[in-house]
Amino acid sequence: MNGPALMAQVMPALVAQGVCKAFVSGNIRTSALQQISLQVHAGELTLIAGPSGCGKSTLLSVLSGLQRPDSGRVVALSEELGLLDLRALERFRLRHTGFVFQGFNLFPALQVFEQVELPLQYMGVSSEEARLRSQEALEEVGMQSRRHLRPIELSGGEKQRVAIARALAKRPALLFADEPTSSLDAANGQIVIDMLHSIARRHGTTVLCVSHDPRLMTHADRVLHMEDGRILDDRPI
Amino acid sequence: MQDSNADMVALARKTLLYEWRRFLPAMVAIAFASLLLLLQASLVLGIFGSASVYVTGSDADVWLGYPGTQSVDQGRVIDPDAATLLYMQPQVARVEPFIWFDGDWRGPVATGGVSVFISGIDVRQDGLMFARVLDPSLRAALREPDSIVVDRAELDKLGVRVGDSAHINGQRVRVVGVGRGLRALGGVNILTSLDTARRLNVDAAQPDWPTYLVAKLRDPAQAAAVAQRVSHLHGSSPHAAWSAEDFARRSMLFWLFDSGAGAGVLFLAGIVLLVGAAITSQTLVAAVFGSIREYATLNALGVGMRALRWVVLEQAFWVGAVGLVVASLGGALLIWIAHLKDVPVAFDISIWLTCFVLVMVLAFLSGLIALRTLRRADPAELLR
Repeated sequence: MNGPALMAQVMPALVAQGVCKAFVSGNIRTSALQQISLQVHAGELTLIAGPSGCGKSTLLSVLSGLQRPDSGRVVALSEELGLLDLRALERFRLRHTGFVFQGFNLFPALQVFEQVELPLQYMGVSSEEARLRSQEALEEVGMQSRRHLRPIELSGGEKQRVAIARALAKRPALLFADEPTSSLDAANGQIVIDMLHSIARRHGTTVLCVSHDPRLMTHADRVLHMEDGRILDDRPI
Repeated sequence: MQDSNADMVALARKTLLYEWRRFLPAMVAIAFASLLLLLQASLVLGIFGSASVYVTGSDADVWLGYPGTQSVDQGRVIDPDAATLLYMQPQVARVEPFIWFDGDWRGPVATGGVSVFISGIDVRQDGLMFARVLDPSLRAALREPDSIVVDRAELDKLGVRVGDSAHINGQRVRVVGVGRGLRALGGVNILTSLDTARRLNVDAAQPDWPTYLVAKLRDPAQAAAVAQRVSHLHGSSPHAAWSAEDFARRSMLFWLFDSGAGAGVLFLAGIVLLVGAAITSQTLVAAVFGSIREYATLNALGVGMRALRWVVLEQAFWVGAVGLVVASLGGALLIWIAHLKDVPVAFDISIWLTCFVLVMVLAFLSGLIALRTLRRADPAELLR
């Protein structure tokens, strides 16, 4: 059993306590998160659902260390993110997190396998190891046979699978996905959500997914319903 | 380790190759800026270098002249006895006089007044003056009294053809041939023998006195040392000595800055660099902006801003390098054409290297400006 999986049995992978976040635009102050407290466990696919503007993406960016809360604390993998400076946060993300976004954000110039290997080389992984990991990850998402193609030659679903492989090859303990299916058709959306689910199971990864797609609910291990910056409902499936 | 580096994903270069259209304006801007700098430098060197054609076209290693002389064409006559100072140096193998003065040209057709510089030189076969640019047969032709040689590009200005006669300071001369690379700055250079020059020098109090005494050394590498030693010797009349290299540079710099052209050249170079930097930086900014979501994604995955900055700077480097290669090829071609057309251009490797450095600094600064755009690569923006 690997490190993150072992730790998962001891304590939750992600903990938020009394997290508040507001945005100021002109004279108007909009509260995006109001006193959010929650625990997210490893090996599970946790879904944050809710109408647009409910604060679910803000919650994801705060929990993943992309943004700092105005108050409250976030503890990820026993590390208090509020105590890390910008450089240390980048290092934390480099070591422990993967991201999948609604837009796939692949570099047009790079072939599929290079998209996957690029973050690995910044982690200091040797090129042989990076090649191995990218093969594994691409096989897992079923894209190994298309590894020499560029984004322009791929469909939307294929691009998202490459983006998943890019996150997966880092072997992250935490995987964050923001509306990963909303620019895909039903079949491809299904494939993507199945993958996220199996990643949580097979690798013991904490998968936190934000979506307003009702089809995803049945595939998640746990669904948090948000509205107006609050969690209204928290239930396992 | 080298193998693994070779396998690295070269994001900067691959993006540059794949999206070359995006980077093209920057490369074109750099190429034009470099080409302008290179040609301007070559032209300036060519034009102002001809101020020192007397020095650079000759085989003399040490020049003896009037103290404080700032440029070859600013010399005053010196006492020919000063030659003993040179002969006292064991390094000196040979000394010859060089007579230089300006005169008034009257050609066979109406050309108005043409200012000419008369160079009276030793016309023996192994004479030092203009040894590098004057064909031996032309040198031999100058032994005939009253014969002169000019650069072939000056014939029209003088209104003569080879074989024609004309008058200098009221004395008759005949054009016996034309050479190349004999052009001077500020007037037409007329080559003739020492004897003819003395006869043409009608206004001078001492027409026999030379403007310079030039010396050939056994070891040319000793030129600076010998010149320094001779300068410190006490002679019967005022004198100073310079190595040929030093005197050529003095002459060129004198013209470059005395004429105001130096300031103009620097001003123009500044403008060229400024325009180049403006276009290059804007192109790079647009390129960074075009990939901003991908950069933000890498940052979300933990790739530090510092590493991303290097990607942009590397792109700036390659844009500069490609622009320079294009400019060098174009510049070499244009200089070759200029040579064929007798346009005074000179190739100087140190000047080209200076241009290269300037252009790479330009590219680097443009990259630094583009870095500011990277701040917009905020991964939180991807979650909207």
